[in-house]
Amino acid sequence: MTTATLNDYVLLSAVLFAIGFFGVLLRRNTLVIFMSLELMLVASTLALVAFSRFNGTMDGNVFVFFILTVAAAEVAVGLAIIVALFRKRHTVQVDELNTLKN
Amino acid sequence: MLQHALFILLLPLVSAAVIALFLRRSGGIAAAVSTLTAASIAVISVILALQNERFTASSEWMRFGDFAISLGFKFDDLAALMLVIVGLVGLCVHVFSLGYMADDAAKARYFGGLSIFMFSMLGIVFADNLFMMYIFWELVGFSSYVLINHWHEKQSAADASKKAFIANRVGDFGFLLGIVMCYWLNGTVNLTELAAKGEAHTLVFSTLLPLLLFCGAVGKSAQLPLHVWLPDAMEGPTPVSALIHAATMVAAGIYMLCRINVLMVPDALTVILWTGTATALYAALCAITQRDIKKVLAYSTLSQLGYMVAAFGLGSLSSTHRHGTDAHTVVFAAGVGAAMFHLTTHAFFKALMFLGSGSVIHGCHHEQDIFKMGGLRTRMPLTFWTFTIGVAAIIGFPYLAGFFSKDAILYLAFANNPAVFALLALTAVLTSLYMVRLWKLTFLGAPRSDQASHAHEGGLTLTLPLVFLALLSLVAGYTAFYPNVFSGVFDLIPVAHGADHTIILITSVAVMIVGAGLGFTCWQSAPTDTLAEKAPGLFAALAALKNSFDRAYDYYVAKIQQRFALFVNFFEQIFLAGLIVRGLAGFVGLCGLGARALHVGNLNAYVYWFLLGLVGLWLFATGVVTL
Repeated sequence: MTTATLNDYVLLSAVLFAIGFFGVLLRRNTLVIFMSLELMLVASTLALVAFSRFNGTMDGNVFVFFILTVAAAEVAVGLAIIVALFRKRHTVQVDELNTLKN
Repeated sequence: MLQHALFILLLPLVSAAVIALFLRRSGGIAAAVSTLTAASIAVISVILALQNERFTASSEWMRFGDFAISLGFKFDDLAALMLVIVGLVGLCVHVFSLGYMADDAAKARYFGGLSIFMFSMLGIVFADNLFMMYIFWELVGFSSYVLINHWHEKQSAADASKKAFIANRVGDFGFLLGIVMCYWLNGTVNLTELAAKGEAHTLVFSTLLPLLLFCGAVGKSAQLPLHVWLPDAMEGPTPVSALIHAATMVAAGIYMLCRINVLMVPDALTVILWTGTATALYAALCAITQRDIKKVLAYSTLSQLGYMVAAFGLGSLSSTHRHGTDAHTVVFAAGVGAAMFHLTTHAFFKALMFLGSGSVIHGCHHEQDIFKMGGLRTRMPLTFWTFTIGVAAIIGFPYLAGFFSKDAILYLAFANNPAVFALLALTAVLTSLYMVRLWKLTFLGAPRSDQASHAHEGGLTLTLPLVFLALLSLVAGYTAFYPNVFSGVFDLIPVAHGADHTIILITSVAVMIVGAGLGFTCWQSAPTDTLAEKAPGLFAALAALKNSFDRAYDYYVAKIQQRFALFVNFFEQIFLAGLIVRGLAGFVGLCGLGARALHVGNLNAYVYWFLLGLVGLWLFATGVVTL
């Protein structure tokens, strides 16, 4: 059994981030875009935890606590906005949310 | 005293404001308000003058660093005399207007205009510094514009008012430059301080300074070459012509010259002298061919204003007093005395004649052509007799007002400058000529039109001012008649003694008889101008002389100024409007067009921009790209 190295964690983090990024880029549903955003956030926290573990310091871990706290608040606000949007417009597809342009 | 002065200065302003704000539609009340104001001014100004209490007062209005503009009163004998003239003539004109403008549609505007004029004119009279005088100087210009333009439906009236305003602006610009120069040279424009500096011999003189200030008088008192507006200003109602364009506003130029007498230098006086003499002679020649009763009087006013300016330009006179064996010589500003004396008498008899002509025009149902009048002597006896007094006064009939003041000027000319004396005597001949022509054609003979044969005397408001002014024209020439409160001015009037006195007396009576005789015999009471029939060449020459200035100005404006303006406009279109204004706007528009292309309205597209921005930031942070 091989133990996971720092590179494995960073690679995993990069892959998760890329998935999230392309999700934001390509998906059309606001809810999915929002989930992709969260995925990118989590990917970066994973990298922080990994660095913290392999450096033997607590800096990264402390950061992660703060990020999770803020992210929780942000998710609450973001989801509330999306719910309000759906109530108002009966859609969450970004293609149809272009009132400012027209 | 100061309160009284302040009261009569502000009263007409209040009256004008009340009329403008509340009484626009009620002409009758407006007329009453304005006339009562004029009456109060007349009464209080006479009281102020008679109380013989002279004062100066001033308060700071605004300050820029070391430079302060103050508003103040300088009430000396000169101002008191002018105040009384403005007050009395103003009252007469207001009363006359009650009758003359009774049926006018825009009565409120007319009387409001008269009030604002009274305010402006009193401001000039009281002003203790040149800046304040300039402010009111422009205000009389404005009120003159409003009143000439009273019948603005008439194109000629609208044109005349614009002409008056523009011609005055030209002169006023010189006046303004003069004020700036006065401050630059002497550090003050306060008349009292200037006089004090003159006493202390610390005044800085310059030939240019009085000439620049004189520009203001050239415009306002209609001297050559800016006289063109005054004959056209006769488009205004006749009482306005009497008040503004005969007695007071046009005399303000002479008053201003007397105010700044201390700044005068011999060279400047020579220019002023010849400008006045030329105007006097030129206008007298023009008056001979006029058909319009008001135009004759307008040119006569021009000529008399030229007389006053010439009198001022003749400058001071030294007189030798003998007390037993010792003689001492006194130099005194005889020019000021003679000019102001003639201004005073002229204000009364010219206002009388203008109001007389207004009475004639009113009686003849707005007929102004003297060749269509005639025979008014029996139909309008009161107007005839008062007008006759006015004519006699202006041609210098012995022992009437004009006789004394004209003699004073002739004597001064005789003593200082024989050439000017000859020209002024010639002008006096011409004055008698055209005034008697006017008088004969209007009042004598048989009526030459229906209007004239049905002419009738106006009401009491029309005749009362005539009688009052006729009385003043009879007595205004006697300096003894005035209470001893104007001595600051009247002591300066030159009086001929001995042989000089005889020469002047003979000359003045001779020129009057020659002129009046020629005028009476040369023109027949006919519907056509006798001069035009008997001597068409001379008539055409005089008419061409009259038109020469208008032609020259037309040519200048149309051919020179207009072309220059088009040329400048071309540059303006290319550089200012084209390159700078349109160019800048176009550039900003282009930027907007580019920025708008980025705004596609698609959330995914914005993520690409976000990515691009991130890459850019990363490149900058790693130092690959530097700004």
